[in-house]
Amino acid sequence: MFGEPIASVGAGARRVAQEVGGILVMTGQVLRALVPTKPFRDWIDTRELWKNLYKMGNKSVPIIVLTAFFAGGLMTLQTGPFVKKLGATSLAGWGAGYAVLREIGPILIGLMFSGRVGSNNTAELATMTVTEQLDGLRALAIDPVRFLIVPRVLAMIIMLVALTVIGDLVALLGASIVGRYMLQIDWPTMYYSFVDNLKPYDFLHGVYKSFAFGGAIAVASCYFGVTVRGGAVGVGRAVNASVVASAVSIMLLDFFITYLSA
Amino acid sequence: MSVGITAAPAIRVANVAKHYGHRTVLDDISLELAPGKRLGLIGPAAAGKSVLLKLICGLEQPTSGDISLLGTSVIGKRESELGEVRKRVGMLFQNYALFDFLTVAGNVSFPLEQRGGLESSIIAERVATRLRAVGLAGSEDKLTGELSGGMKKRVGIARATVADAELVIYDEPTAGLDPVTTQKIYDLLAADQQRTGATVLAVSSDVAALAQFVDEIAFLYRGTILYRGPAATIADAPDPLVRQFVRGELEGPLDEPGTYRPGSAAEGQRGVEDVR
Repeated sequence: MFGEPIASVGAGARRVAQEVGGILVMTGQVLRALVPTKPFRDWIDTRELWKNLYKMGNKSVPIIVLTAFFAGGLMTLQTGPFVKKLGATSLAGWGAGYAVLREIGPILIGLMFSGRVGSNNTAELATMTVTEQLDGLRALAIDPVRFLIVPRVLAMIIMLVALTVIGDLVALLGASIVGRYMLQIDWPTMYYSFVDNLKPYDFLHGVYKSFAFGGAIAVASCYFGVTVRGGAVGVGRAVNASVVASAVSIMLLDFFITYLSA
Repeated sequence: MSVGITAAPAIRVANVAKHYGHRTVLDDISLELAPGKRLGLIGPAAAGKSVLLKLICGLEQPTSGDISLLGTSVIGKRESELGEVRKRVGMLFQNYALFDFLTVAGNVSFPLEQRGGLESSIIAERVATRLRAVGLAGSEDKLTGELSGGMKKRVGIARATVADAELVIYDEPTAGLDPVTTQKIYDLLAADQQRTGATVLAVSSDVAALAQFVDEIAFLYRGTILYRGPAATIADAPDPLVRQFVRGELEGPLDEPGTYRPGSAAEGQRGVEDVR
């Protein structure tokens, strides 16, 4: 009676364990490839690295700016009426800034980055896999991990950190503009609310998170890309799995980083 | 079963089996190819030809058995350990495996650039020469997505041969090409082989054209090498199954899947043993 559901749960758990194991193996391969054993030019394919930095970073700026601006503005909108009611407008900037720098900024930007860059990366690698381009590289004595994966992982980590820093600044600007024009909180009040109450660690806390999120998105998106099976349908499944795994990783990492640094 | 040539083989496949789950794709295959020789591999669709080529290149690992490539075992090796031997091998994939992030010229120059040691002017000259040879002069700056299937195949051939590899493996080198281009390509491959002395292993469904290019042909059937013999006389092979396949006859043992087994009581040993 219970045999089938138990078997189904067992099979699901085994699949998850296989995927987690595969992601850990790929993480190990990337870390091993990052050990500097050669001059930088031979160690990392700089042409691929620059190409990916541009593609993943520059082209993500508009969507990140838009997201961060409204995230910052929303925080002010949510907290503004209460701080005004309590006469504590000097805390309006702190409320918005604290939430944005430590939580909302890294998470929202991480999720946007996963949706835009991670899914694109998975689709690209998966297409290369099903069209045997990875085998083509291997046949030419080129290690796909070193040539394709490592530059992408580095580019995603670097660019997510950079985008989070940009996003933080834009979010604070958004919070100030919304505070000034929608809640009539003047500029100096917001400015001193940020400067007096926010600590450098609040900003760094978000940066640490974005570093971890970038690594998780990068490895998950590369893993599901290179392990795809089954042509176009498989590519779709791989992208789906990559976005889900990245989102789950972001939430888990966020919880543990916050818990460990509390 | 052991079929082949002796003495310092460029390719040595010993008792290799490959299973995917419960499905057996290759079953106890042994094969040797001497340096400088040209061997064609034919067989029905899904006989395991492309899998065998990938195993030989170390792109997949066999379930059991041993494979040596230019004197180096490819079994249980890491990617980095296979690098040196792979640099001595050129491979054309059935589905081209062209890099879509590079132009036509970029694809052909890629093996030379990655190996290093050549000036960019020399690389450019060799790429131009190779593209002229396969009839693609003027297409250097096109992206692979802009090419037809036949053009992609020719870019793949140019990439596989540009580095003058010691061993060249072609998986369907003329599939999708018209008869005239097919003949031109085989003439080109033959001229290349004579110039470099490379060992060649080629899979093709165009048996007539292949037979003019290679010295010998092996017939792969249901995961086993059923026959190997001179290419010139393949149409008159003693095995009725090979004859039927090569001549493209509708009637014969190929028409009755499940009834013919090499070495079975019904057919005796004529499939393999007679040609040894």
